[in-house]
Parts: sequence; C-alpha cells; structure tokens
Amino acid sequence: MEKFSYIGKDMKRIDTASKSTGEALFAADLALPRMLVGKILRSPHAHARIVAIDASRAEKLPGVKAVLTARDTCGDKWGVFKYTQDQQFLPTEKVRYVGEEVAAVAAVDEDTALEALSLIDVAYEPLPAVFTIEDALSPGAPQLHDVYPNNINIHVHINVGDVEKGFAGSHLVREDTFAAPEDSYFQGEPYAVAAQFDHAGNLEIWMPNAGPHLKSKPLSNVLKIPLNKVRVRKITIGGAFGGRSEISPADVICAFLAKKTQRPVKIVYTREENTVCTRQAHSMIARIKTGVDREGRVVARDITCHMDGGAYSSTGPIATSVPFLCMEQAYRMENVRYNGYRVLTNKPIRGMFRTHGRAFACGVDIQLDRLGEALGIDPLTMRLRNARQTGDTTPTKSYVASCGLTETIEKTAKRSRWAEKFGKLPPYHGIGIGCNSVQTGFPMGIRGGSQAFIKLNEDGGVTVITGIVDNGQGNDHMIVQIAAEELGLTPDDIQLITADTEVTPSDPGSYSMCETFIGGNAVRLAAQDVKKKLFRIVAEEFGVGEEDLSAKNRKIFVTKNPEQSISITKAVRMALTRNESISGEGSYWPNVDWKREWVKNPYGQLSETFSFGTVICEVKVDPETGQVEVLEVTASQDVGYALNPKVIEGQFEGGVAMGGQGGMLTEYLQWHEGRVLTPTQLGYLVPLAIDMPKINDIIVETIDPKGPYGAKEAGMSVAMSAAQAYCGAISNAVGIYFHEYPITPDKILKAIEEKKKGDRKE
Amino acid sequence: MSEMKKTAITLNVNNETHDIIAYPNKTLLEALRDDLRLTGTKESCGEGVCGSCTVLLDGAPVRSCLTLAVAVQGKKITTIEGLRVGEKLHPVQEAFVNHHAIQCGFCSPGMILTAYALLKENPTPTETEIRRAISGNICRCTGYAKIVEAIKSLAEEGK
Ligand code: FES
Ligand code: FES
Repeated sequence: MEKFSYIGKDMKRIDTASKSTGEALFAADLALPRMLVGKILRSPHAHARIVAIDASRAEKLPGVKAVLTARDTCGDKWGVFKYTQDQQFLPTEKVRYVGEEVAAVAAVDEDTALEALSLIDVAYEPLPAVFTIEDALSPGAPQLHDVYPNNINIHVHINVGDVEKGFAGSHLVREDTFAAPEDSYFQGEPYAVAAQFDHAGNLEIWMPNAGPHLKSKPLSNVLKIPLNKVRVRKITIGGAFGGRSEISPADVICAFLAKKTQRPVKIVYTREENTVCTRQAHSMIARIKTGVDREGRVVARDITCHMDGGAYSSTGPIATSVPFLCMEQAYRMENVRYNGYRVLTNKPIRGMFRTHGRAFACGVDIQLDRLGEALGIDPLTMRLRNARQTGDTTPTKSYVASCGLTETIEKTAKRSRWAEKFGKLPPYHGIGIGCNSVQTGFPMGIRGGSQAFIKLNEDGGVTVITGIVDNGQGNDHMIVQIAAEELGLTPDDIQLITADTEVTPSDPGSYSMCETFIGGNAVRLAAQDVKKKLFRIVAEEFGVGEEDLSAKNRKIFVTKNPEQSISITKAVRMALTRNESISGEGSYWPNVDWKREWVKNPYGQLSETFSFGTVICEVKVDPETGQVEVLEVTASQDVGYALNPKVIEGQFEGGVAMGGQGGMLTEYLQWHEGRVLTPTQLGYLVPLAIDMPKINDIIVETIDPKGPYGAKEAGMSVAMSAAQAYCGAISNAVGIYFHEYPITPDKILKAIEEKKKGDRKE
Repeated sequence: MSEMKKTAITLNVNNETHDIIAYPNKTLLEALRDDLRLTGTKESCGEGVCGSCTVLLDGAPVRSCLTLAVAVQGKKITTIEGLRVGEKLHPVQEAFVNHHAIQCGFCSPGMILTAYALLKENPTPTETEIRRAISGNICRCTGYAKIVEAIKSLAEEGK
C-alpha cells in the first residue's frame, strides 16, 4: 500500500474552481444592505503641520453620513512593537508623507463621497522634508519624529567572532557598495475593507490580510472593545507577498465610519492608493566588506546597510534584520559584523516584502563572484565552498536541523549545464547564480503558535477550524490535504472554517512563511487527536491495540488484516451513542528562543527550520539597445518535503517573475520630491507573459525532522535568490559587475560604453 | 455631475437582458459590478493596463473599465459568470483549475476570458501566440508558466 493517499501528490486545489467562475468573493465584491461608500482624504504635502481641519461644508452635503477626523480616533498610535508605536491612524499634529490619511467620509455613493472630500478644508503649514537616506542623516536635517534622533528609526547591531582579526588573516579582501530603489508589492487585488457593527457593538470586518489575528488585536485596542467583539472574517485574498500583515489605517477608518453611521461601510483603494498608501519595499544601500582565504572560503564579513523606511516604523526591526539573517543562514560566515540602519524619510511607509533586500542579497552574491574571479574560482565553486550545511549553527545562534543548499546548487547547475556554459558562452551571453535562505516563522510572542480544532459530523465528514489564512498560495488546500491524509478521509469530506477571529483560534499568520510549518503541524496534531479517539473505540470493538489500526479510504482497519475494518461513519456513530467526545484539538508552539529580540538581543534560535534555494539564469544582452533577453531560468529549493509539488512549482515560477524578471530588470518606483510618479501598472513594469523565460523547477527534499511530513515552506528561497542569478548573468554577459539595481537598459549601455572606453576595467 | 442626465441603458449580459438607469459616463465595469452585481469581473488598475476587467463583447475581449455601458447596448456581453454551462465548468475553466493556473485568483476571470477568446479564434495557438494573447493580462502570482500550460493543453486538444 502506498504510504500516503494525498500528501506529496499533485492535487488540484480545492479553492480554485470557485475562483475560475467569479464565485469567490474578494473584499471589494461585498455588498451589504444600506452599505455606504467610504473615501479617505490624503495629504498633498510630504511634511506639514496640520493647523486646522474644517469639515462643516462636507458634513452639510446631502448624502454624506459621516465625516471622520483625528478627533474621532483620539490620536491613538499604532506600532508592531512597544518601542515602535509612532503611527496615528489619523494624525493630529503633522503629516509625514504625500498620501497620508487626514480625514475620511462615508456617503451614499462614490460621487458624493469624492465631492465631500473636496469640501473638507485643511490648513497646513508646510515643513522642510527629506527624501533620501543621505539627506535624512545629514546634520541639521528636518526631523520626522522626536523619538528617533537623526531620523534613525532602528539600528540592528550584530557582532560575532573577531571580524578585524578575520580580515587580517584573509588572503583577499574586497569592499563594495550596492544599491536599489524602492519596489512595490503590486498585489493583483487593490486593498479594500468592509465593516459593520451590530446592535450589541460587535464589529464584523473583511479585508485582505496575512493573519486575521494580527488585525483583530490592534482593532480591539483602538476601538476600545474586547477581542471577542472584533470579528475579522474570512475573505478571498488577492495576494499579500509579505504585505497586508499589519493593521491599515483604512481598517480603523472603515470601522469608525461604520460605528458612527451604524451602517455597513466599504472602502476600496484605487491602484494608486494601493501602491502609495499601503506599504512599499525599502530602498537600500549596502556596503559589504568580505575577506576570503585562498580557496574562496569567507573568513570575515562586515556589512553596513541603510534602508529607507519612509515615514513610520511599520515592521522596521524585522525588515532591518531579515536581509542579513537570510544570508547568514545561506552562507557560512564565522566572523561577522552587521550594522543595519532603518532611516526615516518623508516618503510612504515600507514593510516586509517577499523579495526584501535585492541590493543586499545581490551584494553578497555578486561580491562572491568578484572574489572568485580574482582567485580564479568560478561562482559555482564559490557557492559550494561557502554553503550552509545540516547541523551547522548560524552566527546568530540558530541550529540548522536540515539543509539541502548544496543539493540545490548541484542540481540547478547540472540542469542548466553550468559547466558547459560558464566562461564558454559567446559574447554578450551570460550565466549567473544566486542562493538564499528563508525562515519559517520568528519568535512572535503570544501569537507565535497555532491551534486547530476538528469537529466531526455523524456521517464521518469533518470541519477543520484554524486561523491559517490563504493569501493565494494554497494554504487552504494544504489544510485539507493534511486532514484528509491523517483521518483517512477524502478531500470532499473536509470542510474548512479558517481565518475568522470569531471562531478560529490563535495563529501567527502567513507573512513569515510559517503556515506550513506551524499551522500545518497544528492541523496534523488535531487530526491525530481525532484519530486517537476513534481508534480507542474501534480497538475495543475489535479487541486489538490502538497501535494496530490504520485509517484510509474512509475506513478504520487492522493494519495487518485490512479485511477487518469499520467505516469511519460507523465509528463516529458508535462514539456518539457512547457519549464520547471525538472532537480534535491540536496546538503547535515552535521551538525558538523566545528571548531573542530583533534589536536588544539578536541571538538565539530564530526559527525552527529554514528553507534554502538556488537559481541559475542565462541571458543574452543586446549591446545596441541594452535589452536583456532571458533565455532560461532554473530554480530549485529545499522545501523539506513537497506536500503538493505543482503548488510548489507555481511558487517558484511566481518567485522568479517577481524577484528576478521584475526585481532585476524593470521594477522600481520613480519619484519627484516624495511623490510617486509611477504608481500604476502603466509606469511600474510588472512582468508580462511574453517577457517570461522558460523556467525549470527542481524540488529538493530533506525531510525536516519537525516539519509536517518533513515540509518547511514552499518557494520563498527561490524568490529571494532570483535577483542575484539575473544580476550575475547580466554581469557575466557584459563583463562588468553591476552594483545598482534594477539593471535597466540605460545602465547596461553605459557600462558597455565605459568598458569600451576603458574607464571601467573588470 | 449635476448637469449630466441619467438615462436608461439596456444591456444583454450572459443572454439575459438588464435595464439600468445610469449616467452616460458609467463604465461597463461599474454597471456589471455595481448595478448587476456580477462581481466576477475585477478591477485592478481602472485604466486599461491590467486586463482584470476583461469581458467579451460579441465574443471579442474588451476592457470593461475603458468601455462605456451606453456604448455597448445591443451587443452580446459575456462575463466570467456566463462561461460555465450549468453545474459544469467550461473546459477553459477546468484547464486552469487542473493545471494550477490559479493562485490568488484575482486575474483569473479576465485571463480565462482572454484565453477563451483566443481559442475560439485560433484553436491551435503556438506557445508564442498564447503568450502574446495573454500579455494584456497581468498576473502577479504565477509567473504565467502554468497559465500557458493550461491554455496549451486545450490547444493540443484542438489539434
Ligand atoms: S481594470 Fe481594466 S484593464 Fe485594469
Ligand atoms: S493568480 Fe494572483 S494575480 Fe494571477
């Protein structure tokens, strides 16, 4: 008999049929009786004092049901951490970026709401503003917040081993600077939120989210109502990519408008609002100094990274740390110093992004290529010599229980025929490699673990209740797969209640790649709990031990004698008549170091396990136009165990599109004094089908000792490696190493020109 | 707005006739979503770049966010809700589901209708023809590989 019925199989997802017919509802699709349209008035200034707000003309406009200003929200401040509470949902004193929320209205229709916004009079006193990291740090620069002197929001300092001694003992040392401007999430679905209160003061609210419980707590705080009155409901979500994890001012504004009017209110963001007023990815300048021995092994590394965080903290401490942590997981480095600075500017707020830190990751990888070149060692060997191994401990003290990085490098190289190609391609052809590693969760305090319940019906079917959220990556299907496998049921027998804070127990959310590892384990344990209870009853009936039983094909049977069986329906009915509880409960609390803290104590077990990935990319560059044609990409990741291989391939392919094709060739925001000039798909170039190369997917399995069936996470390490592979390939093709991203045609032409003139020798 | 007059607009959507009263500047997208509550048609950009709002007009794909409702009276409009036949998914929908061409699903209605129109016009498109045809539809999740595979599987059946 096959080991698994569903796990490890290419199954079609349970949620996609309804997405193919238009039946799946996203937040903007909701319509409730008497629903009003909410709209937000936003700051036209990058930095200004709010002198006065007069909403009386708007209030008098027929059809306007409520106007909301900071007076209503009491000036409460929000922050992910106690020490980062700096953002008011509606600011009372000053605005800090173009697009910041200032006031809001609820009206009978959109036209009326927009007209009402134009009738709100806000008197501003413009203040000098800063738009770059350099300007923000310069002496005498305008300050954004009193609590962050010199506009330094977060400083993460890590120091392990003896870096100076390491450099002194190195055979070769290089120092380089790498930089990239802001990129954007560009989720398919623009942000939208709908809210309503009932007569008992319970809030129901729908919005795309990367964790309903991450939304409900701040809502409960600001509305000053207990958590049991905040019902963040499940809704189909059109992508998150690291965003949508925090409370949004729109959530709070919508809830307050619903409260004030006692009617349902819906706010739907425009594409421009989604780009400017949700979150963006940080722009970054990374200075990296690396010393290697004769064989190319890294002896010491010193990195200083400045990130432009925009106007508020958001997930700042995490964002300032993660690019470094990913790389310290991927590559061995014994003596290492890291100084990460998140700097505040008068620009929109930056958060965690799926491909966070392209300048950082490319910096580490491209510098390895350069060091290798000087030593006569090819990039592949440089990776292999520095790759993390199972059983290692990272510099910041995380034990690595399973690591397939070397295998991903070797398999990717073989599939892309690296040995035949590197150094042997015709002019303006190139090949490059990138590697990275990603966590499966962090120490997340009280919300760090996940719990799940399973309820049985009298016919043996079940309902799984869990806080796991699906942003589009297929988490709902994963839950069904695990429950069906453990219980011996079919996917059709499983119903889900997920991501609804009224019903579902605590869960960390999907934004840190922990839903498979943490949430998946909780569901598995809940199913095992049910199974144990049913087995007890059946074992008694059959006169065998519980351990002698198995469940498959809706039956419980004696493993050694499958003929002796009973249907699960019957077993459930027996339990009911005996008054035995057979509901299941499962709870998973990851084994991480809870004393680890991003700034105060960045040492200890960060995550219970890590994924590792490699991408190799082959390109052809047109020296006349600077255009890059990507010929082929091979992507590989140690996913632990592939629960549903096709889903994983889809994550790899999406990761290559976002991290490589978009991230290294076309995606960046353009600015004029704090104003985004390219907020829509017209100016911000998300890859199209015609742009995308052939992608080969290679799944590597290491069977993590603690992951559900050995699984870790399904594709982030590929997404975080793609930029480096693209960058390496273009650098290889042109014969110049690129340090500024994305690598647009103008940069390529300039490099070719300089190379010809002999200004830049590589 | 106040000088503009509302007018009666008759729309034939998915073989049903609907009468709405609206300003002449109402887009087809707004009419479908807000008046007819056919929310399968999505808005992602509102300016004609992303293809999420694609519907068929007499069988040809158009961007409903750039189309005025008044201008399409008398034409046959097909939205994603009109594709499936009874309980069964249309083969294009089925191929998208079977080939994992759908992740978050926000682009899917527009993508599926574009694919449907392509296959009607050219039942055996090459991979390049497929990629060209769907390059007016942006997908942020999939990297397009599985979408292309899904359409290819139908193109092979068409041979
Ligand atoms: S919403 Fe119509 S093309 Fe984007
Ligand atoms: S599946 Fe998410 S945008 Fe295409």
